[in-house]
Amino acid sequence: MTSLPGTRRLLVTWAMLMALTLISMISARLDQGSWQALPLWSAALILLATGFKAQRLLMVYLNLRAATPAWKGTFMGLVVLTLMLIAGGYLVARLTG
Amino acid sequence: MKERALPNPGWGPLSALPGNPLMWVLILSEMLVFSAFFALYAAERVAATALFNASQRELDPLMGGLNTLVLLTSGLCVALAVEAVSAERIHRARQWLGAAMALGVLFGVIKGVEYAGKFAADITPETNAFFGFYYGLTAFHFAHVLFGLALLALVTWRTSTENVETAAAFWHMVDLIWILLYPLLYLLR
Repeated sequence: MTSLPGTRRLLVTWAMLMALTLISMISARLDQGSWQALPLWSAALILLATGFKAQRLLMVYLNLRAATPAWKGTFMGLVVLTLMLIAGGYLVARLTG
Repeated sequence: MKERALPNPGWGPLSALPGNPLMWVLILSEMLVFSAFFALYAAERVAATALFNASQRELDPLMGGLNTLVLLTSGLCVALAVEAVSAERIHRARQWLGAAMALGVLFGVIKGVEYAGKFAADITPETNAFFGFYYGLTAFHFAHVLFGLALLALVTWRTSTENVETAAAFWHMVDLIWILLYPLLYLLR
């Protein structure tokens, strides 16, 4: 059994995940009644918050911090690739739509 | 890393991963499957941007956000269950697993309310390509939630460190997929 993150680290991570989710929701301007395309900085902030949430979840909740740098890089690389796919599709649709 | 320091000696390249190595294979393959669906969604969105934008307005991002908060809190509960069972506090671990399952059920209830609203508005998977993706991706994810709930129930009954750790890894994968799904479907407009 590898060393676990510990209760304190888990609680701090949970608080960060909650805060990042709320930041994403605020960035998406959910308070506005009318539907409008987001400013690009808002979309970028949402994607950055999502990437950081995925990183925290992998490293702390899934305890990937106990693995080798190669495995950490593999999983984070896949998260970044997925976010690039999401961002790329969104940007192309925004710029050509 | 020296061989004796590896979490799972004898598993070849997987021996450096914590917890059950096969669960990491599953996590990797699920991430690849969902990434492929996300790529398809992105391509379809580029081909029919106006349709996707108009359809996305029908979703409720607050419900999606609430479900994100619920699922991430459930993830904390299973992580705390792993901490408890590894300290041989079996009763406490079962309590945390019970809390995680309750939150998982709440996720399902919120999702059910969301689906019911859509069906009441005559929005089905056949309505258009966007809703095909919406129902397809969220239902596929929800199937993982249901399987995860069954796993958590199983390890609440058969509580051991290895069992709880394995079920927790699956549950965190369900969290991870939702974290990526939420902005794609609900937020980025």
